[in-house]
Amino acid sequence: MLELRSISKSFPGVKALDNVSLQFAPGQIHALIGENGAGKSTAVKIMAGIYQPDSGQVLYDGRPLHFRSHRGSPKTGIGIVHQEIQAVPESSIAENIMLDKLITYGRTGIINWKAVHRAARGYMDMVGLDFPPTAAMKHLSAAHKQLAQIAKALAGHAKVLLLDEPTSSLTEREAANLFRILRELKAAGVTILFVSHKLEEVLELCDRVSVLRDGRFVGTRPVAEASRRELIRMMIGRECAEEHLGRLDVRRDREMLRAEHVVRRGKADDVSFALYEGEILGFYGLVGAGRTELARILIGEDRLDGGEIYVRGQRAHVRSIADSLYRYRIGYVTENRKEEGLLLKSPVRTNITITIWRNIVNRLTRFISGRKEDAAARHMVGALQIKATDLGQKTEDLSGGNQQKVSLAKWLAAECDVLIIDEPTVGVDVGAKEQIHRLIWDLAKKQRKAIILISSDMPEVIRLSSRILVFKSRRIVGELTGVDDPSRTYEEISTEIGHYLA
Amino acid sequence: MPNETDQKGQAAPAGLPGAGRLRSSRELLSGRAIGLAMSAAVLFALLAARSSSFLSQYTMLVISRQMGFFAIVALAQAVCLVVGGMNLSVGAIGSITTVILGLCLDNWGMSGWLAVPVVLAAGCAAGAVNGLLITRLRIDSFIVTLSMMFVYRGLRSGISGGNPYRAPASFCFIGQEDLMGVPYVFLIAILVLAVMAYLYRNTVFGRGMLATGGNEAAARFSGINTRWMVLGANVLSGLFASLAAVLWASKQGSAAPETGEDWLIVSFAVAIIGGTGLSGGSISAMGIFMGAAIYMLIRHGLVELKANDYYANSFLGGLILLAIIIDRVRETYGRKRRTAA
Repeated sequence: MLELRSISKSFPGVKALDNVSLQFAPGQIHALIGENGAGKSTAVKIMAGIYQPDSGQVLYDGRPLHFRSHRGSPKTGIGIVHQEIQAVPESSIAENIMLDKLITYGRTGIINWKAVHRAARGYMDMVGLDFPPTAAMKHLSAAHKQLAQIAKALAGHAKVLLLDEPTSSLTEREAANLFRILRELKAAGVTILFVSHKLEEVLELCDRVSVLRDGRFVGTRPVAEASRRELIRMMIGRECAEEHLGRLDVRRDREMLRAEHVVRRGKADDVSFALYEGEILGFYGLVGAGRTELARILIGEDRLDGGEIYVRGQRAHVRSIADSLYRYRIGYVTENRKEEGLLLKSPVRTNITITIWRNIVNRLTRFISGRKEDAAARHMVGALQIKATDLGQKTEDLSGGNQQKVSLAKWLAAECDVLIIDEPTVGVDVGAKEQIHRLIWDLAKKQRKAIILISSDMPEVIRLSSRILVFKSRRIVGELTGVDDPSRTYEEISTEIGHYLA
Repeated sequence: MPNETDQKGQAAPAGLPGAGRLRSSRELLSGRAIGLAMSAAVLFALLAARSSSFLSQYTMLVISRQMGFFAIVALAQAVCLVVGGMNLSVGAIGSITTVILGLCLDNWGMSGWLAVPVVLAAGCAAGAVNGLLITRLRIDSFIVTLSMMFVYRGLRSGISGGNPYRAPASFCFIGQEDLMGVPYVFLIAILVLAVMAYLYRNTVFGRGMLATGGNEAAARFSGINTRWMVLGANVLSGLFASLAAVLWASKQGSAAPETGEDWLIVSFAVAIIGGTGLSGGSISAMGIFMGAAIYMLIRHGLVELKANDYYANSFLGGLILLAIIIDRVRETYGRKRRTAA
């Protein structure tokens, strides 16, 4: 039994946890959910010994735990699987699993590799990792790396397993496999804590769910008795609608973008589609299905091996992202906003106006008008309701949702009429997610933009799109029309998508 | 004037401040600029107190002329640091352009008015070669500029045979004269720094370079043509290296092939002391100015103390380390203050 008793933890400027008490019983999969900034990661890190609480205690089987450093926790039998997979890529699987408990010959310090590999093999079998223990970590997929992490936790004789957003880089099948293993571990009496923002998974896998909001404990429910609606209400403190936002007015006579038999080795396998003014075309598929790869080809970041692209009916040769923006007015809102979407150390103003600098420059002096720059930035901040202290605030200080809005804002500032939006609400809390959804929908409905929405979040795709293309293995395997038809139900649409993916 | 990433998150906006107006006064007061100015002032006071001849016009002329010169050499390095690369061939470009200058003035009898543009163009070309190799072949700037350094050095030695070229007296006007007590070299340096500050803050090209250095992927995904930015930065680097070579030859009265031998470490030292981050994306014209001042004052101090010339490099190396450590501490301190869970 793992318990947090009256834990409080503050960081400069913010109280991350405020008198939180939680209990996790063995032989159960316990979910911990909440918005970004609710305190889930902090709580997990305190349990793992990475942070020390300001007040309160962590108790295991009634005895308080004293962590002196992160090394403390393997000794107490608490294993953590981080969201970002931390492994030594050049080392073998066995080394990574047994890294802090390598078996040596007596006390000579020389490693007994046979014993290490034998031990590692045991743990790898427990999680179903079917590789030779000597294989290098770097050859493993994200899913397998994660299984290796779990094996590592088990190797530490973990009786408690803390998983922080474990399915963020897994395909549906890999996630199913992970769940199977977690259920086996649960049956073996391990206490499992599952931190996730994906409610479907929580409802499918877990036995109990606890909700944090703004650093405070809101409540615990048995999953069998909890509804999606109620959990969302607990997470954000108010009701949140999830129905489709309404019919879109698509002009099928105005074709904005068309791909014909696009081929790119390893990325796209004979893909054809068309995009019309005023529609939101959903690209649904799992990680690796080829949607983002196709988007990168469309914007010129990647080459075409075969096929043609047409923009507004004309044959297009997009040479670079700069080309796609300035010549074809296509914008791409990247899925990876921290690494590709934003200059984090720069002010909000810069990130919004970076696409329009050349429009507000004086022809003669090449001077960028600060006034025009501020005006444009301010307009976007208002239109998208970006919460920032001022235009000069460093973008890295904004919340995930506001950062995402900034990432979107720069393309709107450039007045792109074709937008490819890739995973717009990943790492964004439920409240901001709702706002971003409305924004995207308004862009299509009111501003008549043509939008491709790439998402692996089925509710999101179904809620916003007027048409959905289903991707699998780098091809389009199905098309659903009339998704915005109010007479169609969520179940009906999701079932149809499921059929295409089978 | 400065375009800095102020890690303390204070009043000074980070990276690309945008328009001037009120911001410029806030930036001048940013932590780093004040620290540098204070260090320079302290050094100055120490040296003045130690010997009365320090404040003589002669000494001031010498120091300010050297300062201007090193500021330009530092700028040649800084423009590459800004886009996330570096230029190990700054000294070598200085050398080879000095040789070209010598050929123009001495062997071919050109007038200074014709020779200087030719030499500057050659500097740009050298920088362009670096830039093209980096962007087209996608080789790291470290390797490209290291290799080109050897190439240029070899060319220099081969062409000149190690012998200096004579420069006509008319050519030495800029390097040796002053305007009402302020050396022309110093004035040229100030002018160049001012133009660069304007470029970085207020033009698309300058901001594009800052963005490229700040986060190349993000800049590219925002529509910046990052290859042009890197190429442009390298051309500028070559330009400044050749400008420094011209000014040095003008001061010395001859074009000596050894010019540029010790530029490399100086270029890094002054650039880094002046706040040009090693990872790119930030630069401060004011910082480089102060960095050059501090460097000159320390050098002068070492001469005053009759310190062994060979140890001067040790001091320089120590200074660079100190500057980086201070920078790192500021960054961590600034981040800790802002980071939550």
